[in-house]
Amino acid sequence: MVEMLEKELETYEHSRAELVGKAEGKFALVKERRIVDIFDSESDAIRAGYEQFGNVPFLVKQIVEIETPENFTSNLMGV
Amino acid sequence: MPSFTTQVPNLQQVGPVVEIRAAVGTALEEIERSAGREMPVPVPMLAMIDTGATGTVLRDDIPKQLGLNPVGVALISTPSSANVQCYRYIVRLLFPNRVVVETTAIAAPLQGQHIQCLIGRDVLKHGVFIYTDYTETFTLSF
Repeated sequence: MVEMLEKELETYEHSRAELVGKAEGKFALVKERRIVDIFDSESDAIRAGYEQFGNVPFLVKQIVEIETPENFTSNLMGV
Repeated sequence: MPSFTTQVPNLQQVGPVVEIRAAVGTALEEIERSAGREMPVPVPMLAMIDTGATGTVLRDDIPKQLGLNPVGVALISTPSSANVQCYRYIVRLLFPNRVVVETTAIAAPLQGQHIQCLIGRDVLKHGVFIYTDYTETFTLSF
């Protein structure tokens, strides 16, 4: 369902333990097979992504050991 | 304090819905404008304030209309599914009275034709939401 960021997600998952050890709670900017940088805020990471890569898919991911799903109670959600 | 109040006939049945527009995020707009590129026209949509939503949701065709690419992935759970991955996009939501909120929204299918956006608690956390059924109005202030 998220094929456009498949490589980035694999890269993040591969490095997750190391990232949690050194920057838990911060935000990783990932492009293809590279962890580009770590940022204090999501907006800073997204801005850096646009500045470096332009309007193309890239991954900004908060570094957490266990990801908590976002919850939706509405039956309008079609997933 | 930026604020808007909307009256919705039959509010209990229809829900707190409001006409808004979605536009590209500030960072992308600055970069695209500095490169001399035209920005897409903001997309009008009907949004529902949803206190049961952790985050804001855009119907999955909206990012394409804005020419956006994903900047992340969210893991979501709904009444009918658990731990589904969806793309995230940064957008500006343009409410009535020039109330503007920038957020990272999830793109997902929304059933039915009338609602294209759910305004979640990522937006509500910045303000005050007042729902008054006897006047069939609601107010969002930031």
